[in-house]
Parts: sequence; C-alpha cells; structure tokens
Amino acid sequence: MQLAPQQAADPGVHAPVLSLRDISKSFGPVQALKDVRFDLRSGEVHALMGENGAGKSTLVKVLAGMHRPTSGTIAAGGSEVAFGSARDATAAGIAVVHQELLLFGEMTVAENVFSGRYPRSRAGMIDWGLVRRRARALLADLDCHDLDVDAKVASLSVAMRQRVEIARALNQNAKVLILDEPTAALAEKDAERLLDIVLRLRARGVGIVYVSHRMNEIFRISDRMTVLRDGQYVGTVDAAATSEADLIAMMVGRSIDQVFPKVEAQIGAPVLEVRGLSSGPLVQDATLTVRAGEIVGLAGLVGSGRTELALTLFGITPATSGTIAIDGQEVRIGSPKAARDAGIAYVPEDRGHQGLVKPMAIRENISMAVLDRLSPGGILRKGDEKRIAAEGFRRLGVRAAGIEQPVGQLSGGNQQKVVIAKWLETRPKLLILDEPTRGIDVGAKSEIHRLMGEMAQQGLAILMISSELPEVLAMSDRVLVVAEGRIAAELPRGEATPQTVGHAMTRRTGTTAHGRARP
Amino acid sequence: MINRHSHEAVLAVLAALAIAVLALQSAEFLTPANLMNQGRLMTEVALVALVMTFVIASGGIDLSVGSIMGLSAVLLGTFWQKMGMPLPLAMVLVLFSGALCGLFNGFIIVRFGMPPLIATLGTLALYRGLAEGISQARSVRGWPEWFAQIGQGSFAGVPVQVWILLAAMAVAVVILGYSRWGRTVYAIGSSETAARFAGLPVDAAKYAVYTASGLAASLAAIIFVSRVSTTRSDMGTGLELDVITAVVLGGTSIFGGRGTIIGTVLGLVVIQALESGLSLAGIKGDGTIVLIGVVLILTLLASTFAESRARA
Repeated sequence: MQLAPQQAADPGVHAPVLSLRDISKSFGPVQALKDVRFDLRSGEVHALMGENGAGKSTLVKVLAGMHRPTSGTIAAGGSEVAFGSARDATAAGIAVVHQELLLFGEMTVAENVFSGRYPRSRAGMIDWGLVRRRARALLADLDCHDLDVDAKVASLSVAMRQRVEIARALNQNAKVLILDEPTAALAEKDAERLLDIVLRLRARGVGIVYVSHRMNEIFRISDRMTVLRDGQYVGTVDAAATSEADLIAMMVGRSIDQVFPKVEAQIGAPVLEVRGLSSGPLVQDATLTVRAGEIVGLAGLVGSGRTELALTLFGITPATSGTIAIDGQEVRIGSPKAARDAGIAYVPEDRGHQGLVKPMAIRENISMAVLDRLSPGGILRKGDEKRIAAEGFRRLGVRAAGIEQPVGQLSGGNQQKVVIAKWLETRPKLLILDEPTRGIDVGAKSEIHRLMGEMAQQGLAILMISSELPEVLAMSDRVLVVAEGRIAAELPRGEATPQTVGHAMTRRTGTTAHGRARP
Repeated sequence: MINRHSHEAVLAVLAALAIAVLALQSAEFLTPANLMNQGRLMTEVALVALVMTFVIASGGIDLSVGSIMGLSAVLLGTFWQKMGMPLPLAMVLVLFSGALCGLFNGFIIVRFGMPPLIATLGTLALYRGLAEGISQARSVRGWPEWFAQIGQGSFAGVPVQVWILLAAMAVAVVILGYSRWGRTVYAIGSSETAARFAGLPVDAAKYAVYTASGLAASLAAIIFVSRVSTTRSDMGTGLELDVITAVVLGGTSIFGGRGTIIGTVLGLVVIQALESGLSLAGIKGDGTIVLIGVVLILTLLASTFAESRARA
C-alpha cells in the first residue's frame, strides 16, 4: 500500500480508511474534477473545502458511489474498490448525510433507522421490540434521548431528522460518514449539538468527511482540511497549523482582506416604523424602527419568529393587529403586491423555492416584480425589459452566460444576486434580507456584504435576518433579538456581542426585563 | 432559440409530413372544400384548447369543459324555447353561465386549495348532471336560419366559425406570448410560490384562466348547436380528452410553466389531418385513435430527445 506524503509522519497509527488517487470526472466536455487526491483516516474529521462549483459535491457523489470517476482509483480499507452504485459504497461502509435529507416522512423514526432491513424474530416476523430498542440505543449513543422512536419523521425538526439520518448510517456500521453542509439549515444551538455528535463519532474511530462553509465550525472540529478549486486539488493542510486567512486564500486563490466589510453610511430619518404588530403565535406585539441607511440585524433561533415577522411585513401573512408606517405614512399591507407598492422588498430565505422561478431566464426573473410597470396597457415592452435586466445584471455583477440563461443553472451566490436585482428594480425604501448568504461561498458572500453596504450608503433601510451570529454582529448598526415571537432585546452596535445576543436569544420571555407586558 | 422552439419545429415537420402523405393517399384531401370542412369540424375543440393551453401552462387542468359544453347547449335550448327568451339574449346568458361555471372551478381551486384535477373532476360530474336534469332527455330543434349560419354558413369563402377561431387565436397568441398576464401564467406554472413572493396576482390569474375556460366551452357549445341544429345533454362528452391531447401534443408541459399557442394549433392540425385523412383513406375510427396515441407518444419522445441534445 502506498502512503500519502502527509501520512508519512506517523505511519501505521492512522491508516487511511479511504484513499482517492488522481480522481477525474468529466460530464461531456465539462471537467468537474481533475486529478483529485483525498485521504481519510479513521478517527479524524477531514473538512472538504472550496467555493461553490469547486467540485465538492461531485467528489462527495464519487465517494458515495453515485458518480463513477472517469479515471483514478479509490481504495477502501486498503483494497481497491470500484463503486457501481450507492449500494456498493454503503456495503464498503460509507454513509452519506446529504443536504436534502432522504428520509421517509410518513414512517417512524425507528422504521427510518432500519429502512427496510429489519431484524426478524424466530417466526420470521419483524421483531418490532428489537427494532425500537436498537433505534433507541443508537439515538442514545448520539446523545438524543429526547427523540421518540415512534414519532413520524415528517413531524420532526430538521435537526432531529438529521440525527435520525446519522443513526441510520451508524446502524449500517459505517466506517466513513460524509456530512454535506450539515449545519446549513440549523440554528446555532442545534449546530452546536451536531458538532458534539461529530466529535463523539470521531472518538469512536469513524472517519468523517465534513463539508461546510462555516469557518468557525471547521476550525473547531477538523483535524485536516482538503481544499478544491475549480475541480482541482489545491492541497491538504493540518488544521492546527493553518489560519482562517490561509484557508480562504487557498479556496479563492487570492486573499480576502476582510470577510465582513462594514462601510459607514449616513443614518437618516425612520423609514419603517412598526407598532404592536401581531400575526399568529410567532409575531406578537412587535415594535421596531429601521432608518434610512441603517442595517438592522434580526437575530434569534430558528422558529423564534424572525422569518414570520418578515412575512407579515411583506404581506404573505398579513398582520391581525398593529400598524406599519413607511416614511411616516401608515400603510395597510395585505399582500406582497401591497408591500411592494409601499416600498418594501423581501429577499426570502428559500431562494430556490420562494425567490426565483428557476426554469426562467435571468431576464424574466429580474423583471418579475415590476411586470405591471413594464406593460402599460398589458403588453410587455420587451425592449425595456431587456434593458432593466441587463442593467441589474451588470450592477450586481452576476456571473452568467447572459441574461437569457435560466437562473436554475447559476451558483447560489449568483442566484441571490438575481433575487436582489429583482427587488432593487422595484426601487424599494426598505429591503428585508432573510438569510442573504446562506449556502453561498466565501467570495460571493463578501460581494453580497459589500452590496449591502453600498445600498445602505444610498439611503436604503435594510432589515437583515441571519442565523450566522458573526454576520449579524459585523454587518448591523443595531441588533434586534427575537425570541418566542417577541422582540426580546434591542442592542446598539457597541453592545452587541456573542454573549449579549446569545443570552437574549435563549432567555424566556416571561423573565425578560425588557419584555413588554401584554394587556 | 432553436431549443426553445424545438417542439414546435418537430410538430411543424410532422404536420407537413402527415398532410403530404395524406394528400398522396387521397385526391380529395387537399381540396379547398375538404380543408374548409375540416376547419369547421375542429373549431369547437380548438376554441377550448386555446384556453386549455393557459390552464395547463399555469400548472392546472380543467376536466369539466365537456360538461360545461353539454350544460351550455341544454341551457341555450331551455332559455330560448322553454322560457321564451329572444335567442340573442339566450346566447349571451349561456356565455355568462359558462363563465360562471368556470369561475366556480376557480373558486374551489383558489379558495380551498383543492388540486385542479380533483376539483374539475367533481364539477365534470356536477355540470353533466345538471345538464341531464334540465334537459329531461328532450332535445330542442327548429333553430332560425340566422342562427344556423354560425355553424353552417360561410363568409368570404371561409366558414363563419373559422373566423371566430382565427380571432380567438390572435387574441390568445398576444395574451400568452406578449402580455404580462401570459408571463404571470408561466411564472405560476413554474413556481407558484415564487410568483406569489414576487407580488404577482396569482389568485386573480387562476380565477381568470378557469373562467375563460368555461367561457370558451360555452362558446363552443353555441357553435356546435348551430352546426348540428339540435341540443342534447350528452354533447361534449369526452371533449376534455381531445382538448388535452391536442395541448400536450402541442408541447405544453403537463406540469406547467411551458407551452405556446402556436404549438397547440399545430397539435390540433396534426390530429385533424390524421382523423380526416385516414377516414378518406378508408381506415376505421379505431385505427385512427390508435395512431393518434402513437403519434402523441412519439412526438413527445422526439422533442424530449431534441431538447436534451440541444442542452448537451
């Protein structure tokens, strides 16, 4: 067996459980991976890094047996293997937890953990008692004592479902666990717990491939990191000997001075004034103000009511009580169209589903919120449409073949720019950004942050929802913390620290000193 | 551009091919008299298919069009003969009630979020039942001469209803291809949620397409009654299948988001050419249905293939 150079230091101690040599994969004329190397030792967390389109997902799919490499070799446990299907990879002890969880929603937790391979009793019947006990034991191993094994998976939160999927992988005796952006959809607290689970598995000798964009996580849990760029292998480094800046430089091929550039903008008159707004259980008696040129961060756990507040302001779930005023004028917002007419724009959390019509061209998406303006008398002025689309395209620096390319083919960052371009075209006074950089690579992320700064400088009022605390703290002039549907705290930039915000997010409304008493 | 219209290209070739082969088979096929007659025969299905293109492109379906046609035919006879209304008033009322039937479909679909397939399957039974109840199995005959002109007369050598159809086509092409309502229909068909989040009038557009669908079915009913000079409660039975076949053959995606009026018109032409050409060539009706099924499947396969080639 050939040893990789980075293993020469301590041979034998950590034999690779999985070893990739010179893996290339092309799809027709597109070369997705070129001569990629990758080694995974047992009992290590190996982060796989790279910008969107760098080839991470393709590599994950090669490891999972879903793509057959065009050339190169894969060795598992010291012997060469060829995966013809995902089943072969599973048989070789490789389990993958994909970004989109692949569980059966209508089945129970225990049924999903076993997914068809049930232990039988002597009479040939499924031994449900054993199924439940084993599922419970596996989940207890993951420190998930609070999960009911008889609950339907569809009724669980994303975090819980993820644990079920990990338990399923362990039930298949996986020696290699691949986690593809596991914390992307999780709130801070759930992400913490997931990281604990990962460390627990590492201690048991499982080799873990960890794909994520979140730097702080990567540095906390990984032993080594492999970086890909444009489908090529850039290098493998030890986490202990690498800085965040080094890693980013490896990923983007240049150094980024600042991950969160905060530009100073002139803060003006109040644009949005909300008084006692309520709608459903998750928007209760919200009072807030956002001024021109100001970026207000809305922090809170997932399910705390942040997005619900945005949806109420945008007219998807209209308010049942309270008032909304824009530029001092009270407005009634009963639909997204009314919100748009009042000068409110909303860049939603779920880009692919709510933000864009994926099969449509960039042009058609950019013009979508202003179709009525573009069609006096009903007939669309295609020339005007092309012009504004080309303008937005250029202004936001969308990288694509042209305005006729379907947005579904763009990377996450470029898709987000199209959504922002669409809403800027409505000439809003208030821009609500819900998780504006979720699932976006570092390069595009800092571009979006730069854009936010520019928009604020031009006098736009910005309300930003984010689960990424560093982003909230770095970008916001003021931070509002939402907990249990109420605004639990308001912190000016100087006072907003991970401690103060974190504390406000988790404390109970009943004991909040700032909590407004309900009549 | 080529891949966006590859389906229409495939269809146009197919239509030309069918017409050429059929013209060689039978000397009568390509005569003006036969062509005009074919136009007359396809008008009712075509009118409904034009609007069905909008319905399906918006991600919906309307199975109740045949029943609305039957109900409208029965109501026309009832209003005019039984209730003694002037015929023009009866016609207007029939158009109005057809639109109302469509509006009701829209109401169930929008207000209660019922899947269009289920909602219109329900009203398919409901409207047919009403037609049968109102007609009491009696047909109405003895229509005045001027009324017969709609379905049997000609203007400038072209059947009157073909003029109506051409006008409807022009309107449909403009609305679907060039107006903001057409764009809204495509957006809803591709992603209703994203359309809603972009502030597009999703509910209003749905009400509009289903109402227009009912209106088209009742207009088709008036033309049909005029053409055959009688009313029966079972008129339009199975119409929905002919219409949906033409629309889907025309390249409209059954999942919504895609489809053109030109495609639907080409689909109609191919089906009509096959039906008439084959009957002139002495092939029985059963054989024609089999062939239309085969053509439908092969055309969709061919255009899927052309599209994947264009993308690769």
